[in-house]
Amino acid sequence: MPQLDPAWYPSQLFWLCVCFFTMLFIMGKIFTPRIADILARRQHKIDDYLVKANQIQEQAEESLKKYHEALAKATEDANAAIELAHKELGEYIAKKQDDLTRKLNEKIKDGEAEINREKEKALKEVRGISEELALDIVKKIGLTEIKAQDIKEAISKVAND
Amino acid sequence: MSNPMEQFEIKPLIPLELGGYDISFTNSSLFMVSAVVVSTLLFAFCLRRRTIVPSISQSIPESIYEFISGLIKENAGTDALKYFPFIFTLFLFVAMGNLLGLLPYAFTFTSHLAAVGGLSLIALFFNICIGIRKKGWGYLRTFMPRGIPAALAPLIIPIEMISFLSKPFSLTVRLVANMTVGHIMLKIIAGFVLALGIGGIVPIAFNGCIIVFEMFIALLQAFIYTVLSCIYLSDAIHSH
Repeated sequence: MPQLDPAWYPSQLFWLCVCFFTMLFIMGKIFTPRIADILARRQHKIDDYLVKANQIQEQAEESLKKYHEALAKATEDANAAIELAHKELGEYIAKKQDDLTRKLNEKIKDGEAEINREKEKALKEVRGISEELALDIVKKIGLTEIKAQDIKEAISKVAND
Repeated sequence: MSNPMEQFEIKPLIPLELGGYDISFTNSSLFMVSAVVVSTLLFAFCLRRRTIVPSISQSIPESIYEFISGLIKENAGTDALKYFPFIFTLFLFVAMGNLLGLLPYAFTFTSHLAAVGGLSLIALFFNICIGIRKKGWGYLRTFMPRGIPAALAPLIIPIEMISFLSKPFSLTVRLVANMTVGHIMLKIIAGFVLALGIGGIVPIAFNGCIIVFEMFIALLQAFIYTVLSCIYLSDAIHSH
């Protein structure tokens, strides 16, 4: 096996040391610091973005809290306004109802008075008509001893009963 | 049919010598250098414009980075993250070695005991250094945990030392065996293509499937190598 030939060991070990340590120098001094630097910069950027994102989230939460507070206050104000409007409307309706009731009562009272007046008037007319009718009947049947005054009194008596 | 072990032969490209040792630039060295160059070019291309919102190409190195970072945190704890570049390079070097080896006519240096063993020894030495740095000479307690009677020391210390030294050995053997077997299988099946003539379409299709599977194995082995290195690192940081 060529691998077991010790004649080439010094050459292989020498070039191994040269190449490995050259590569170690190149990687250790040039490339790994560059990669580490870019990874660190990226991490720094990500951390910055995370901090900004957290700040924005805190601001958003603060805004949301303010919005909820404003909404609660507005709801409270609106409820108070609605309650006041209800109360005012209730009072207005009650007042209007009272006015209407009062007016209706007045109108009923007026109507009743009018009816009574008309009734009185009608009764008076009915009495006159009844007297005339009774007098005509009496005349037609020839009862001369019954006077107009008697008929009037009789009708007044019936009407008063 | 050509010898399936031929692909593992090391061929010198540029002969070099240092202190009496042959340190020639070989095909193995070429692919080690290629792993470094390809990784560097890939990372340079992907990270040419670094933006907060990553492009598809930028997300590739970032994903590898986060994957290895997660691996370290999960297996060795957050305090092991300071050793991130080492573990990251370990993963990338092994993964690149495995993947580049799958290219036609390529050489897989991770199939060689010396290369992977050397890498495992570097990882072991790294862990020892961290252990000593964190605990001083108290790190030697790793081989003689507290609460064990002194009479058992002649037994416990060798067992612990064998256990400690077997870690790089097991890392090496696992990776080398997987890579070697995979490439031998690919080579043997490829050998049937010409031998079977028109029927060679079957081994070509089969080889296609095996290559996809080998790509998965290449990344999986790099992952396992890295996870075990993290666990050994964790032992060095937190043990006893």
